[in-house]
Amino acid sequence: MIKRAMAILLASTMAVSMAACGSSSSGSDAGAGSSNGGDKTISVAIWDPNQLDGLQQIADEWGAESGYTVDFTVPGWDGYWTMLEAGVSGGEMPDVFWMHSNNAEKYMGSGVLMNLDSYIENDDSVDLNNYFEGITDLYTHDGSVYALPKDHDTIAVVYNKAIFDKYGIAYPTDDWTWEEFAATAQEISDKGKDDGVYGTYCNTGSNQDTWYNIIYSYGGEVITEDKTASGYDEPATIEAMKFVAEKILPACPSPDSMASTGGDTMFLSGLVGMICQGSWTVNNFYTADNADDFGWVMMPYADVNGNGQCEKEERCSIYNGLGWSVYSQTDEADACWSLISYLTNKESQIKQSELGVTMAGYIGCSEPFAEAFGDMDVSAFVNIEEQGTLIFRPYSKSTAIWEDDASKALVDVWSAPETMEETLHQIADKMNTTLAAEK
Amino acid sequence: MKKKKMTAKARKEAVTGLLFITPTIIGLLILNYYPIFETVYQSLCRTGDFGIGNTFIGLENFVRLFQDKEVFRTLWNSVKYAALSLPLTIAISLVLAVLLNRKMHMRGLYRTIFFLPMVCAPAAVAMVWKWMFNQDYGLLNHIFHAKINWVTDPKIALIAIVIVGVWSSIGNNMILLLGGLQDIPRDYYEAASVDGSSGVHCFLHITIPLLSPMLFFIIQTGIMGALQLFDLPFMIMDESSRAWPSVKTITYLFYEYAFVKSERGYGAAIIMFLICIISILTYLLQKSEAKWVHYD
Repeated sequence: MIKRAMAILLASTMAVSMAACGSSSSGSDAGAGSSNGGDKTISVAIWDPNQLDGLQQIADEWGAESGYTVDFTVPGWDGYWTMLEAGVSGGEMPDVFWMHSNNAEKYMGSGVLMNLDSYIENDDSVDLNNYFEGITDLYTHDGSVYALPKDHDTIAVVYNKAIFDKYGIAYPTDDWTWEEFAATAQEISDKGKDDGVYGTYCNTGSNQDTWYNIIYSYGGEVITEDKTASGYDEPATIEAMKFVAEKILPACPSPDSMASTGGDTMFLSGLVGMICQGSWTVNNFYTADNADDFGWVMMPYADVNGNGQCEKEERCSIYNGLGWSVYSQTDEADACWSLISYLTNKESQIKQSELGVTMAGYIGCSEPFAEAFGDMDVSAFVNIEEQGTLIFRPYSKSTAIWEDDASKALVDVWSAPETMEETLHQIADKMNTTLAAEK
Repeated sequence: MKKKKMTAKARKEAVTGLLFITPTIIGLLILNYYPIFETVYQSLCRTGDFGIGNTFIGLENFVRLFQDKEVFRTLWNSVKYAALSLPLTIAISLVLAVLLNRKMHMRGLYRTIFFLPMVCAPAAVAMVWKWMFNQDYGLLNHIFHAKINWVTDPKIALIAIVIVGVWSSIGNNMILLLGGLQDIPRDYYEAASVDGSSGVHCFLHITIPLLSPMLFFIIQTGIMGALQLFDLPFMIMDESSRAWPSVKTITYLFYEYAFVKSERGYGAAIIMFLICIISILTYLLQKSEAKWVHYD
């Protein structure tokens, strides 16, 4: 198996590098004929096919101005990272590509991405203060910027009106607390018992879209602001996770069921009343056969101070954002910069929202996204920017390790909720060890 | 002994032969041998990103490995899988092969049916079984009106994986054994029946010994394959299942370190450890060959 996997990996490496060779030679051909312009190519790699049409449209506008052809490759998430990994070792890379929080540190730290500092300094049209701080921070390494924010994503709750109607339960509104969310979910689970319908879904791995949001709404944190210590043993985090164990989980399918079937699958099959989902998933629901049944509301808030009102910091959505980065060894550095600064300028960012590609990385350009899906109102994703707090997805250099450790440790808690507090302390200890080893 | 000098014709033939195997040799060198040595080297390193900046740390990874309980737990899972699946596979495919070696109605159809799982992509097989095993909506529980947590109950999850593994490897082994059976001359059986041997007696004293070279081959490749199990649990189960720790194999642990946690060096050390174990088992098996395998 390993041999076969290696063979496939290497074969694909070879195929990719051959393909890349092909494209680079055609690139140099075009370079030879650069005097007449028009047929020079910038290769761009992304992983999400849903975004291709919209981005191609924006990139073509830039191409019409600059005389370049923008050539997109969409290998899918796994293939994407294999391709880059092989490209770095083999020396053939796309000129422009997406960066993601999972891998940003690794790529910035090894000189693969072009340092954008001098371009940003010399280009008055680019001001990083216009973008979401968490995203610019993410793509800053040792004080230098390596990617421009492409977009941001937030979380909202999607609910199935047909299920609410069937059991005579009022639709949720934006003005709701996590307690009300749990009570509603429990009511659906109770009434839907004979039909096998459950209120909501929250698995151990549902961190970014579900329980991270609850932790921050309750005033807790996953990692301290300076990224040196775990927040899992803080009282507010423990309170939030105990709430998950005691109020949310009883309204979910059994842990065994959740381990066998994904939340979106169950929801789309009409077996779950409501789930928390990221804005990048909207298309799944928009293109479903029974899309008319689905409604979106803002994430609930946690009434921490008990005044019956929602304070901004009591309603949290985790957000994340991709970055446009440039390969450090590209022959077309200036053109690449021109392309990514075009893709991230205000007009393109608004257009990106209008086309329903994603929300913008540029602050205040996401409004049109709310109307991008016809009759399906997805304003909940945009509104939380004003009516709540966006928390950047917790990360450090070794996110991949401690996030995985936490999800694994929680598997046992999901079957034995009373052990939550004890386990959180263990998770925190282990995470602190991991964080200490980063230096 | 004096070396014979090649005639021009022989030399030409040798060169042509070499030309024919060159693509394979190049493939083997690039795709198999280079990675093997690279893996050995990496197992002695703390690896940097993109294979840049590897630091040589000697046997540190192996010291860590021998203190890592998870390595031995996952190795034990792999061994359990091999111990459960291999005897079942061999027994079932042997019985099927013997049955399908007779003259019977629609023999070709039956052979095709049993061989069919081999034609399916392993990933597709795993996905289909994943849904058949689903405790809430799966076909198996629906048919048996049961509520068995096939792949989420730590007690039976491994057995569920064994079922799929056995199901998908029976076909291949059956064909191999059929080939072996057809090599056994009819005369032996005729002679035995003249001497008054029963069917079972014939099976134990003629079929098994004469089939032993093929059985030996199947056992040897079977052990290697079973200890390298990766795809079935990876595709069928979810890591958030409480049964996952009881099924997680050592090759998955390697995958996790090498590709999820980007600790290639430690991953390489884990896989070197597995290679050593497989080599030792293979060596022991080869040693035992003389005792029970008959090539005549």
